[in-house]
Amino acid sequence: MWLVFLKEVKELVRDKKTLFFMIALPMIVFPLIIGGVAWFSGKALQEAQTKTLTYSIVGAEFAPEINQQLNDENGFKLISIPDETDFKEWINSGRADFVIVIPDNYGVNPLQSGQINIQVYLNDANLNMVESRLNSIVKDIASRNQQLAFNQLALSESQQVALIEPIVLEKVDIADKRESIGHKIGGFIPYFIFILCLQGAMIPATDLGAGEKERGTLETLLISPIERHKLVLGKFLTIGFAGVVSALVTVASMAIWGILLSRGMAIELVAEFMGSISIIDFILMFLMLVPVVAIFAAVLLSLSIYARTFKEAQGYMTPLVMIVIVPVVLSMLPGVELKGGWAWVPLTNVALAIRELIKGTMDYMQLIAIFGSTAIIAGLLLTFCVYWFNKEKVLFR
Amino acid sequence: MNHKDKIERMISISDLAKKFKVENPKKLSDQEKRDPRLKGKFFHSVKDVSFYCEKGQVLGLLGPNGAGKTTTLRMLSTALKPDTGEILLEGVNVVKDPLLARKKIGYLSGATGLYGKLTGRENITYFAQLHGMRPHAIKQKIDQLANTLDLHSFLDRRCANYSTGMKQRIAIARTVVHDPKVVILDEPTTGLDIMATQTVLNFIRGLKNNGVPVIFSTHHLAEVDELCDRVTVINQGVTEFDDSISAFRALAPQSMHQAFLHTLRQDVQLCG
Repeated sequence: MWLVFLKEVKELVRDKKTLFFMIALPMIVFPLIIGGVAWFSGKALQEAQTKTLTYSIVGAEFAPEINQQLNDENGFKLISIPDETDFKEWINSGRADFVIVIPDNYGVNPLQSGQINIQVYLNDANLNMVESRLNSIVKDIASRNQQLAFNQLALSESQQVALIEPIVLEKVDIADKRESIGHKIGGFIPYFIFILCLQGAMIPATDLGAGEKERGTLETLLISPIERHKLVLGKFLTIGFAGVVSALVTVASMAIWGILLSRGMAIELVAEFMGSISIIDFILMFLMLVPVVAIFAAVLLSLSIYARTFKEAQGYMTPLVMIVIVPVVLSMLPGVELKGGWAWVPLTNVALAIRELIKGTMDYMQLIAIFGSTAIIAGLLLTFCVYWFNKEKVLFR
Repeated sequence: MNHKDKIERMISISDLAKKFKVENPKKLSDQEKRDPRLKGKFFHSVKDVSFYCEKGQVLGLLGPNGAGKTTTLRMLSTALKPDTGEILLEGVNVVKDPLLARKKIGYLSGATGLYGKLTGRENITYFAQLHGMRPHAIKQKIDQLANTLDLHSFLDRRCANYSTGMKQRIAIARTVVHDPKVVILDEPTTGLDIMATQTVLNFIRGLKNNGVPVIFSTHHLAEVDELCDRVTVINQGVTEFDDSISAFRALAPQSMHQAFLHTLRQDVQLCG
């Protein structure tokens, strides 16, 4: 069995394609892509913030104050607009970025004029900062007007505050920081890890089953004097090993890049959060992944050995990524908790447990159900795999 | 053939049969549909095959494409389990104990592959290890095989870049690394150039001289003429001829091809 395992691992390590997918992709390529996207979107936002916006104004005479402010502000350029123009056509033809329409009831005293409704016509489908940039101008004027009204009414400071917001709902979170962050990211992390394990196991799985068939080495292997279950176990271990390694590599690379990139405030939060999770919890998370990976490896090996070619094997395996989503989504449904029946649902229970461990609210008794059900299923699948490897119909398709 | 005879023979196969379930009858070709071996849901690939081989003999297995040669050899190698019949290896029925047969048989399939990421030496070593050989013995054996098969120039390079002939020589070395009692080769010379073919034929001759019986299937009658002591012809899953090479030659003294066609009960004209 170890003979088969060692030989398969040796082949795996020599395969540049597999290594690329297992190590280079998560460690270098993905962070580069994510970093690149973040950089470009940051740059685009910056551009939108500083870009000179062209505008037309209708009813400027009603609000000389706003008109003046727009004129004085850097980054706004006035384009005069003829009367009776269709705003939509005006903006779409690119003559102005936005058109601002000031109503004739505009006034500086809200008590007299009532609420003032200024319309801004713009194409909001594109990335733009028109609203926020206009708001910063209007807000100053509005609060000045507000203050004016308050003074006129001779309201005290506390009356002013009460008038602005008569009733305040204050949320007092009794969950500690770890629990509330844990709940938010704890649903997402198991999914991420599951998919990574599955992806990492997929490439060697294709090679170890369908690959042997396609290259014509399977027949020779089958007639070597090694018992079939040892052969299956050797291959199964290789696939599981690859899955765990690739998941670990990815998680480690995420941690390293996270630490490298997030300086200052964010790192403190992350460090504090990570520090609150004990080593035992980390080890438990890892241990729970082992039977999960075993399930994946057994399924992948069965599919792979059934397939005639690489291509066929990949066709069978791709839908698995979608299927794995189901138990994880189940774990995120409201009301689904790690107790009773749910603790026995494979994959879902591990997803739930990982979340509980991250939150720090784990009921350790449930580990029996989790390891029990996952191990039973992994064992059954592995038995099936051995049975499958004894079927002539499967081996000589 | 009485029972005592069978026990004394190195390898003896009698009344072997194997049927396969047809999963999708629509996918069969017209020729397969017309084949009398197709009965209902089953395709009786091998119906009744018997032959035997003594120590130091070379047996040539002949037959048209699809006759059941590969299926027969696969059963012999224990890759497939026969439905009926027995395979006696040194008097032991190996149908019931495939693991024992696997230790004694060296089998080279028609579509042989090597692990491209491994070197030739590693490929051979892997199978030697699976046969439970010790590292020292493996090294010695590989050195010896490298001399016989002239492997030295490429033994430690990765197999992915080998030529067909190189691959076949490594595959042969792998087949016999554990000193099998019987060697079975499925079309070992198909697709090889003249030089590589000659290496394979010389190797078979070497095995014969060492007293190891060789069973090989082929479409080249010249090879049969050159090497074989016995000839077995299979057609549509049934042994049509099983005798010595001289008996085979005697069927049509002027040409081996005619002799072959004679066993199939076909005329040259009919085929031509």
